[in-house]
Amino acid sequence: MSHSHPNPMKPNLATITGIRNLATGIKLLQVKLDDPQVSRDFDYQPGQFAELSAFGVGESPFGITSTRGHGEEIELAINRVGTVTEAVHRLDVGDKVGVRGPLGNGFPMDQFKGKNVVVLGGGIGGAPLRPVIQTILDNRADYGKLSIFWAARSPDLLVFTEEYDYWRAQPNTELYLTVDVRTPDWPHKEGLITTLIEGVNPSPENAITITCGPPIMIKFAMLSLKKLGFKPDQNWVTLEAKMKCGIGKCGRCNLGPVFVCTDGPVFRFDRVEGFMESFV
Amino acid sequence: MKVLTQAQLKAWLDDLAHNLTLVAPVNVQGKLEYGKVSGSGDVAWDYQRTDMSPKTWLFPATESVLTVRQAQDGTQILEPPEPPPTVLFGVRPCDARGNLAIDALFLNKAPSDSQYARHREATTLIGVACPQMWASCFCTVVGGAPNSTEGLDILLTELQEDKQTLFAAQVLTEKGQKLAANMPGTEREVALPSPKLTAGLPTLRPSAEWQARFNEVYWQRVGDRCLACRACTFVCPACRCFDVRDEVASRQPGVQVFERLRAWDACTSEPYRRIAGGHNPRPTPQSRLRNRFYCKFMYYPQDFGSLGCVGCGRCIDACPVNIDILEVIASVEKMAG
Repeated sequence: MSHSHPNPMKPNLATITGIRNLATGIKLLQVKLDDPQVSRDFDYQPGQFAELSAFGVGESPFGITSTRGHGEEIELAINRVGTVTEAVHRLDVGDKVGVRGPLGNGFPMDQFKGKNVVVLGGGIGGAPLRPVIQTILDNRADYGKLSIFWAARSPDLLVFTEEYDYWRAQPNTELYLTVDVRTPDWPHKEGLITTLIEGVNPSPENAITITCGPPIMIKFAMLSLKKLGFKPDQNWVTLEAKMKCGIGKCGRCNLGPVFVCTDGPVFRFDRVEGFMESFV
Repeated sequence: MKVLTQAQLKAWLDDLAHNLTLVAPVNVQGKLEYGKVSGSGDVAWDYQRTDMSPKTWLFPATESVLTVRQAQDGTQILEPPEPPPTVLFGVRPCDARGNLAIDALFLNKAPSDSQYARHREATTLIGVACPQMWASCFCTVVGGAPNSTEGLDILLTELQEDKQTLFAAQVLTEKGQKLAANMPGTEREVALPSPKLTAGLPTLRPSAEWQARFNEVYWQRVGDRCLACRACTFVCPACRCFDVRDEVASRQPGVQVFERLRAWDACTSEPYRRIAGGHNPRPTPQSRLRNRFYCKFMYYPQDFGSLGCVGCGRCIDACPVNIDILEVIASVEKMAG
């Protein structure tokens, strides 16, 4: 049936091509868009998100955790916390899903060129930061020092552990790990990401920071960065919301006059600070 | 201007109902809403303002937006059928402006909401002017009028001449012209009566002044009463937030059919803004109710160029704890001094 209006809510059919466990309760889903043209046109930036459909259950937004140019697959990290994620966790390789996107603004990676980059990832919040890290590593000479602060509640909740050695091995790149509660075999720091970053004390000079994590973590990470001399306009955050449409219609993600889905999800922190409503 | 007798109007509506889907005010167990009618005999003629707005026909309370069919031969995503040509009769001017408020976001801001656009295109609106502002009405506070033509294709105004009820028809758009091609009546000059306006209503302050009052303790007080029943949102002709969810339509061996439904949602409800994991940036009923008013009088005008309120007053009548949007407007006016 032909329609005069293209339907922005209509997902593209995609096939699950790979599934692996990322952390306790978190799976990495690899999907490939069925239509080769749609797949070629699916041009995304670090920090953008997609709406993933588990047919018969629903659709939810996920930060895209793969990097454009690294294979045709789109990767999404799925934390099992609700009905859609529960259903996605039951799917197998070969199953059909729906994908809409890319949505949202993404990180202005070009603006960060020439600067030292401090990345703070908390738990599943590491997912949209992985393509930030990958993009810097793919264009290593364009960026200054990369300092990655990576945290989780416990070691089994750390995401992308198999990439740590690769990150560490890159020039001018540092990785610092911490967990809220350690296990006996944990060789790294114990404590909150705020203690970790205050201990390392990265310089705010010619630097920007990028943070993603639970709201409470963002709140206290910003206080720590302030203590270390970072100005609000040096800090970037990406926010989470239950975006039902992802295209600025359903209203579900408003913070005052701002829609997280279309005005964000990436914001410079001085803007977030000026929001009428707090995100925490 | 065409002038119709009541009998001529009824005959025309019967004719329209025969050829198109005709929707008009109907009485459903004592409540007035817009429903499909088979002719003028089904129309509830004697009404002031319906309990539900005609929004229900352009943006239904629950509607399938996609059908997904999964079978051995593959997965198909099907769009809903095109809505049939529909005439909405008896629309009050405030409700027509409610559609314009929804248009501001759903149509005028890219990408356009295709489902809503299809309903909107398929529908012609025949308004009937209010002879006066009824109890709870405050259309004049938010830029409207009981005889406003905005957003309508045809506006009928009731006249009394020689103890006879007549309707004067203002044909306002191309769509209206098409529909009026076979409209009976007599072409003649007519002086339209002025509606009776309610005096002493408050003045709506501009959005910048609302912004300055965001942290007033007043919002705590007014929100203390809110039960989050969502009635205000559901009767509102300008509220347009929605939730999306899937349902299983049928499950047979080898073939599964799912419907993706969208349904009205309300920012006064707790789950509306809650994120995965349980965090809610608007954790209190007070902060959620405040959002409703700020959306209407600050965010929506600022972001989309239209107020999110048309002054129909339905939310005032629907609220079980007497939260009164007009009193809120008056309070902000007082705060602004």
